[in-house]
Amino acid sequence: MAAPRLRMAAGRCFYQVFRLSRSAGGAAAGRTGIRRFSGAAAQHAAGPWRLLGAACVQRLAVISEEQRPMEARFSELMHQMELERSLMSDHELRLLDDKKKLKRRQAVDYDSEEEEDEDRDQDIILTQDLEDAWEQRRKLFHTQPRVQGDVDVRVERSDRWLTEPLVLLTQQEVGADRLWLLPQTPWEAGETLKTTAQRALSSTPGLEMQTVFLGSAPCGLYKYRLPRAVRGSEGVTGVKVFFFKAVLRGALPPPGPSSIWARKSELKDYLKPSYLDKIRPFLLDL
Amino acid sequence: MSPLLRKVGVFFNGLEHGSANHNQGPVSCQKVMVCQKLISGAHSSPLSGVAPTNERQYRSMPTHGIGRWKYLLPKEAPRKKRDRLQMKQIRAATDTEYGSLSVKVSGYDMTVVEHYSQYIHNLCNRLRIRVAESYALPTKTTAVMLMQEQGTKMYVDALLKTHERIVQISSMNATLCPTFMDIVLQNQPEGVELTVKEHAERDFLERFKARPQLEGLMAQVNQRD
Repeated sequence: MAAPRLRMAAGRCFYQVFRLSRSAGGAAAGRTGIRRFSGAAAQHAAGPWRLLGAACVQRLAVISEEQRPMEARFSELMHQMELERSLMSDHELRLLDDKKKLKRRQAVDYDSEEEEDEDRDQDIILTQDLEDAWEQRRKLFHTQPRVQGDVDVRVERSDRWLTEPLVLLTQQEVGADRLWLLPQTPWEAGETLKTTAQRALSSTPGLEMQTVFLGSAPCGLYKYRLPRAVRGSEGVTGVKVFFFKAVLRGALPPPGPSSIWARKSELKDYLKPSYLDKIRPFLLDL
Repeated sequence: MSPLLRKVGVFFNGLEHGSANHNQGPVSCQKVMVCQKLISGAHSSPLSGVAPTNERQYRSMPTHGIGRWKYLLPKEAPRKKRDRLQMKQIRAATDTEYGSLSVKVSGYDMTVVEHYSQYIHNLCNRLRIRVAESYALPTKTTAVMLMQEQGTKMYVDALLKTHERIVQISSMNATLCPTFMDIVLQNQPEGVELTVKEHAERDFLERFKARPQLEGLMAQVNQRD
């Protein structure tokens, strides 16, 4: 087709010749030369992509991590330094005052009439008694243990590993297999993808929990093409899964069927490597 | 003193008596200048300007004004009185951006609350999120009153002070929001509450102290109308 092209070029400017030759080359060879966005879809797609919305629900850490030995020593040192440099509080000053008054009363030359004139309006309760009462109340208060080994092992419980954030995984049927993945559901026309992600949680039994979605924009995308046999039968090229971040709010939910709470380090035991590769970037550990 | 100086002194004395009402400063300066010129004659002194009247002038000393240096400094603009706090423009939300947001951090422990608000501010700087303002709201004190065991009187058990710090963000990209919120929530310390909401004018007015007298007068004026 060289001759007709040249004839067209003879009557036009150089720029148009350049553009025509580039486009001719592009259409002929496929993906050589400069990519044209308007033409790309027309070249590759045989059919549409199936869209899914998925929710990445995180149970954030409930308590802070244990201090490492160096951190513990440093914090103790800082605490001691601050204590030594600090001024006395009102309570401590009152304690010292009371001790002095007691000593004065027990002195030999104490004249009760003369010296008690000043503290006529003194409280009856001594500061030391107050402290003892507070100590008694403190003893009645019991703290929960920070680490419970037997709970940490149970994967379906949401109160395991309180010092680390956990991610919710469910087992769903994808094609012929039953895989572990983030809860997802197909997109329906007329709704936003964020609504789809919210529906993925509320529609599945055992996944109804109070969550807050952190934004309207997706945080990640996982797409894969279907095998040729399936592609032809359903008329769909592939699947795109859009992930939305959510955070658990309120009380911790009870364990549900076929759902687990996994730490970031345990994800590789459940998820497929290609899927995990796309998820790992937005599971922040900062 | 040399006879030359004495002669000069007599000459200038006359001048001083004549202009008794004026500031004696420049005259004496000039006298010294003249004296120095007569004595050394080599270099001219840079003395100029008015010496303050509250300083004691030993005018007859040849080294008079030798330590002066403030006249050499550039003139400072006079300090203005602090203007009344103006509200920064509240941006409305668009399709791709959130408008003015205020991130409120509150808790009982002041050091933790302050450090957390500083962390959020630094994170915004790092992520290039524009911070409009960063301020503290007045501390709210809660008195915990307990009933006495033997009696009906209530006594104050504890005073809990709630400290609040606000980081006001002018605008945030919608795509950056989930990442920002994730980091902020993951690093939230124990005992600290975090609230993110849209900034409104009444949030700005909350910063100011209530003025009961002014409000009473305004109510009276409105009632009459």
